[in-house]
Parts: sequence; structure tokens; C-alpha cells
Amino acid sequence: MRLRSLVVPGVGIAAVLAGTLSFGGLNGSLVYYLTPTEAVAQQADFADERRFRLAGFVTPGSVTGSADAVRFSVTDEATTVDVLHAGAPPQLFQEGIEVVLEGSWRGSTFTSDTMLIKHDEEYYPPEDLPEEPA
Amino acid sequence: MTTSNRRPLIDVAAASLLLTGFAGALLAPTDRLQGDLQRLMYVHVPSAWLAYLSFAVTLVASVARLRTRRDRWDDLAVSSVEVGVFFTALTLATGSLWGKPVWGVWWTWDPRLVTTALLFLVYLAYLGVRRGIVDPDVRARRSAILGIIAFVQIPIVHMSVVWWRTLHQPPTVLKPGQPSMDTAMLGVLLLNVVAFTATYAALVRRRVDIARAEAAAEDALLSDDSPLAGDAVTAPTHVEVLDV
Repeated sequence: MRLRSLVVPGVGIAAVLAGTLSFGGLNGSLVYYLTPTEAVAQQADFADERRFRLAGFVTPGSVTGSADAVRFSVTDEATTVDVLHAGAPPQLFQEGIEVVLEGSWRGSTFTSDTMLIKHDEEYYPPEDLPEEPA
Repeated sequence: MTTSNRRPLIDVAAASLLLTGFAGALLAPTDRLQGDLQRLMYVHVPSAWLAYLSFAVTLVASVARLRTRRDRWDDLAVSSVEVGVFFTALTLATGSLWGKPVWGVWWTWDPRLVTTALLFLVYLAYLGVRRGIVDPDVRARRSAILGIIAFVQIPIVHMSVVWWRTLHQPPTVLKPGQPSMDTAMLGVLLLNVVAFTATYAALVRRRVDIARAEAAAEDALLSDDSPLAGDAVTAPTHVEVLDV
């Protein structure tokens, strides 16, 4: 009796975890997003407009846009991917910031309809930036 | 009498620290990217810290309950879970409020967010399980086992941002090396951590008093030899009733 009262919720939690591990996420895995290098390497696996998340830094100088769409590229230093994002980007969207995009490949362009800003763990007032390592 | 004299002291200390912390949060420098939104951190981070602290106290109290069989440890364990569940909810709520303007979404299936939500639900279940067990000794033992097992989630929640790819940022302060944060902001954050910790102490203290009062009432009820349903229900006196 005492054992069963622990086993039942235990099995429940294990089942949820196993389910998440097997079927969870847009990528069909636990990986929350792919880097541009991984996305290009696995392009064949994500054919037929299969959706996944792509994260990278917005390449400086790459942003061009209209009211309802914005074009730019994201990079992980090694690989750069062109992006066409439908919709207005979030307020904090800017060159050099890290973004997570949801969408799919269309040719060699990643078309996204959802953009999340991946905020870093650094907090400083504007006038007091730490020295950037060269 | 001595306890009732000490109680206002911790209450007053917690309240004045909270007010100071709140003022500090308003006066702290504005973040270069997020602007005033970053100020939510002065509630979010101390709340998450209290979740860690509460469930750690429950872990210690649960081990102590199993070893000593003294009920005051069970009182402490349940009180700490109740306060911890509240602050876990506050962590999720402030995180969501911050996430909408900064990330662009209220919620996403990110490992840090999912593990924190699971943490909230498991400790809520801890409180639920207790409601279902009548015998105080059995209840205390089973809660203690649950209070120990459930703690495994705390390192998982904290390390989730390091172990897996997440949208949530990695730790700023509780990490190896220097905190990646302005000194004034860090000072205000630590002040709020202290203020929240004092608030935790004040709340748990009060909750333990309630737990003791409940236990005393329960003891009085159980030691009383009257039948469980009282006199309202009596055995049928006429056997013929069964034949109808």
C-alpha cells in the first residue's frame, strides 16, 4: 500500500518524461533549436517544409524589411543562413542579437513565422559596458 | 510568550527589507537592452531562489523526520513546501510576464520552463497527497519520502539551462567565475534575495504555528474514544429491515 502510493505517481512522471524524450519538441527530439551549421547539414531531413527551430545571431548589415516581412541572415560564425520572416519582428530585434526562429526550409532560405529573442545573461546600464574581449 | 515576542521582530525585519528592496529595484540602473523590463528580475530571481531554499529545507526536515520520528520536522517540511509552491508560482508568473515583451511569447516548451512547471506540479501533488492520508504518522512518513525524492528536481531545474539548449538565459550569478552584471544591479538583486529570504522565514514561522495547532486539534480528535461518525449513525436495531 505504502509502496503503491509512490509507484503510481512515479510511473506517471516516468511516462511523461519518456513521452517528451521520444516525441517532444518541433525537431522530434529534445533539442530546442538547431544551429545554422546543423540546419544546413540536416537540410535533407527537414525537406517538405517540415518545421523546426533555428537559432543564430543576426548578421550585422543583413537586415532589410518592409512592414509585414523582414529579410536578414543568422550566423553561428561557421555558417550563415538567409531568413525570410513573415510578420513584424519583436521590439528587441536588432543586428547582432541572438534569435530563435520557427519555420521551415524553402530552397536555401529559411522561412519563419515566429521569432523569439534569445536574451543573454548579461545585464548592464548603457553607459557602463564591460570591456569587450577583442 | 517568548515566541510571540520574537515573531513581530522577524515580521518587521522582513517587511522593511522588502520595502528597501522594492525601492532599490526602482532606483537601480536601467538595462541597456531591456530597459525597465529588466526590473522584473528583482522579483523573479529571488522567487526562484526561495523555491530552491524552501525545497532544500523540506529535504533536510524530511530526512530529520525519518530519523528522529519527531513531528515538528514534519510541520517544518509541509510549511516549507507551501511557501515554496507559492514562490515557484510567482517565478513562473513573473517569468511569463517578462517573456512576452522580451522573448515574444508568454510560454514556450523550453527545458527550463518545463522543468520549473513540473517542479511546481510535483510539490503541489505533495500537498495533495497529504490531504488523502488520515493517520498523522503514516502521512508524515510518506510525505518525508516524497520530500526527499522530489528534491532531485532542484539540480535539474538549475542546470537545465547548461545541460540543454534553451531559450532561457544561463545563470548570471550562480555560476563559476564573475557575475556578468553591473555592480549596482547585483547589489539590488542580492538585497532582494536577503529580503525574500527574511520573508520566507517569517511565513514559514507562522505556517509552523498553524501546523502545530492543527496537530493539536487532530490529536484531541483522535484520542477521543467516540466513534468516527459520532452518534448520528447507529447500527440498525431491527433485523427485519434486511428482509425488505
